[in-house]
Amino acid sequence: MRHPITHRLALLSEPLVEWTIRICGWSAIFFVFAIFFFVFREGAPVLFRDLDLKEFFTSLNWRPDSRIQAQYGVLALLAGTASVTALAMALSVPAGLGAAIFVSEFCGRPTRETLKIVIELLAAIPSVVWGFVGYMVLNPILIWATGAPIGINILNGGIILALMSVPIIMSVGEDALKAVPDTYREAAIALGANRWQVVYKVLLPAAKNGLLAAALLGIGRAVGETMAVLMATGHSVQIPQSLLDPVRTLTATIAAELGETVEGGAHYRVLFVIGSLLMLISLVVNLSADLIVKGIRGKQNA
Amino acid sequence: MPEPSGRTLLYAISATGSDEEGDGTLERPFQSLERATSAVLALHRDEATGQLRTLTGTHGFDLVCVGTPANRRSVSKERRFSYYVDPELVGADGDGSERAPWADLEGALTAIVGIHREQGSNGLTPGERIHLRVHGLFAGGAIERRKQLVERVASAVLAVVTALIVLPLVAILAYLVAKAWPVLSADFLFQNPQTYMTSGGIWAPLVGTFYFVFISLAIAAPIGVLAGVYLNEYASENWLTRLVNLAVLNLAGVPSIVHALFGVGAFVLFAGLGRSVLAASCTLAVMTLPVIITSTREALAAVPFAFREACWNMGASRWQTIRTIVLPNAISGILTGVILQVSRAAGETAPILFTGAVFYVAVPDQGLASFFPYALNDRAMALSYHLFAISTQVTGVSEGLQYGTAVVLIGLVVSVNLISIIFRVYLRSRKKW
Repeated sequence: MRHPITHRLALLSEPLVEWTIRICGWSAIFFVFAIFFFVFREGAPVLFRDLDLKEFFTSLNWRPDSRIQAQYGVLALLAGTASVTALAMALSVPAGLGAAIFVSEFCGRPTRETLKIVIELLAAIPSVVWGFVGYMVLNPILIWATGAPIGINILNGGIILALMSVPIIMSVGEDALKAVPDTYREAAIALGANRWQVVYKVLLPAAKNGLLAAALLGIGRAVGETMAVLMATGHSVQIPQSLLDPVRTLTATIAAELGETVEGGAHYRVLFVIGSLLMLISLVVNLSADLIVKGIRGKQNA
Repeated sequence: MPEPSGRTLLYAISATGSDEEGDGTLERPFQSLERATSAVLALHRDEATGQLRTLTGTHGFDLVCVGTPANRRSVSKERRFSYYVDPELVGADGDGSERAPWADLEGALTAIVGIHREQGSNGLTPGERIHLRVHGLFAGGAIERRKQLVERVASAVLAVVTALIVLPLVAILAYLVAKAWPVLSADFLFQNPQTYMTSGGIWAPLVGTFYFVFISLAIAAPIGVLAGVYLNEYASENWLTRLVNLAVLNLAGVPSIVHALFGVGAFVLFAGLGRSVLAASCTLAVMTLPVIITSTREALAAVPFAFREACWNMGASRWQTIRTIVLPNAISGILTGVILQVSRAAGETAPILFTGAVFYVAVPDQGLASFFPYALNDRAMALSYHLFAISTQVTGVSEGLQYGTAVVLIGLVVSVNLISIIFRVYLRSRKKW
């Protein structure tokens, strides 16, 4: 029996298609390694030659443009990132998890659907717009409210970052609560627990890993955020003393300075080293969030 | 007759003690506390049995003291004394406190009269009230009521927290739109930036954003969809699949500025694309790949497995099944992911900052050429970078221009997202399986 020509072509092309699909599937692995490779490749020469790692992590002096002796200490930048992230998390973790509990356990279906759409739109607003809001709207408000000389500081960046990371905390947190089997809720209700007792005594302990993962992903989002902190946190390389001090973060430093560096120069390469550091941080955060979530899945299946 | 206030019966007692005997309403109060309590007992005693009727649906009595006829309408909410009675209680009679309620209504009313006679007159000033709470059969005790209070407080706090997230969003959007309103016009959209970007419109950056979005989409969509197909249709449960999933997860979590550095290292320098539209679009494509992969995988997973089995039984190969059955049935979900990719790519700034966005470039704004102002190896303006530039880098830009640009960018991204949401809801409503 002779197959029509199109059929034979289809049979011949099947392996070709399958291999294309396989390669596309594996491309994600390739891209992650490629990102590591290319970012590290640009930074490596200075990392192994000129850069004193001890000075890099412990020095407060970030003077990349100094003609006499350029200094690359990222401690102040790390402090900037840490302080803004910490404030953002202090605001957004309780708010995000609270909203997740409200949406998943306390409100009716219409409210839930509406809130989820609103949160999705909140997540869609570009970071540069958040930066703009911090720079143009929140800045005068903070000057008026706190009497600080400038309103672009840790407080500003923290509030903006909190609003930006709430959606991810909320959606991952809600997933974690939804993953708790309904039999747990039913058992608690049968024992006479009301909704808050179900949440407090049953759901929170059962979903604590998922909620922790939600907080971690929020941290990852906040540490990696660039444009918003570039515009909203001010530009002083310093260890902050108060919430009203302007700081500079790791991401903002790269965004602000890469354009002015000489390609292949030490400053340029140090910025790529900072990039590798950020990549490492995000990798650790994401992997641990994944492990924590997978941890509960495994336990529940068992 | 008692005046219902919620599920509490209200009886009024005159503070002054007028001559006329009343019936317990606010207009005609009882003369004294004794009169009031005996009236209550009379009203609630079942004539046949001589027993007090079960106070179904009643939470309690308020004996409120009213002053002169002029201010009788203004009954305060204040409860001067609260007593408790539990008709279901068997055994020891209490002292009327919440912990140890009295055991029957008659005794309770007598005790109240006793307590307040000792204090002389009523012990009440006009407006104050004695509250006697009656526990029904299933009414909660102190612990139960505390539990319900905690729940109400918790629910309210959570609602407030949620509102605190939503309200700033609404307030900010409203403020931005209000500030931008004067400049928003067709001219603003279709004119190029002029005089060092301090006047004119946003046409050149807007077109640039479309360039970045569609070229990155053209790169990311095929790879992302096929990767989703691989993960859902081909991949078996092994370490490689686990690794791919982890990679997708991490790719989604890589900071945008690191993507920018990757774009510089890989596309601008290594691939020799230079700072160009193409290099920036490639960077955006890698960055937005996880969005498409994840939503494709979810869309495919939603197609029932029986569809595939039926197709295989007809002798179709794996790819034929995917092409003719699985993909057509999942196309809506895949499109949702693609739309989200568009929204993400349109808003990103950091990845294109050093790979292909340009601060300012003069492009034609008349005729057909204005729709295709950039070549693939040129650098292009982008709306997001333009917003950054005119709000922080250029001096003398009017506020209207800045807010207008921000609102157009938000409008673009949010409307794309809304399309995706509406699409999703519509398709869910007419799902066949």
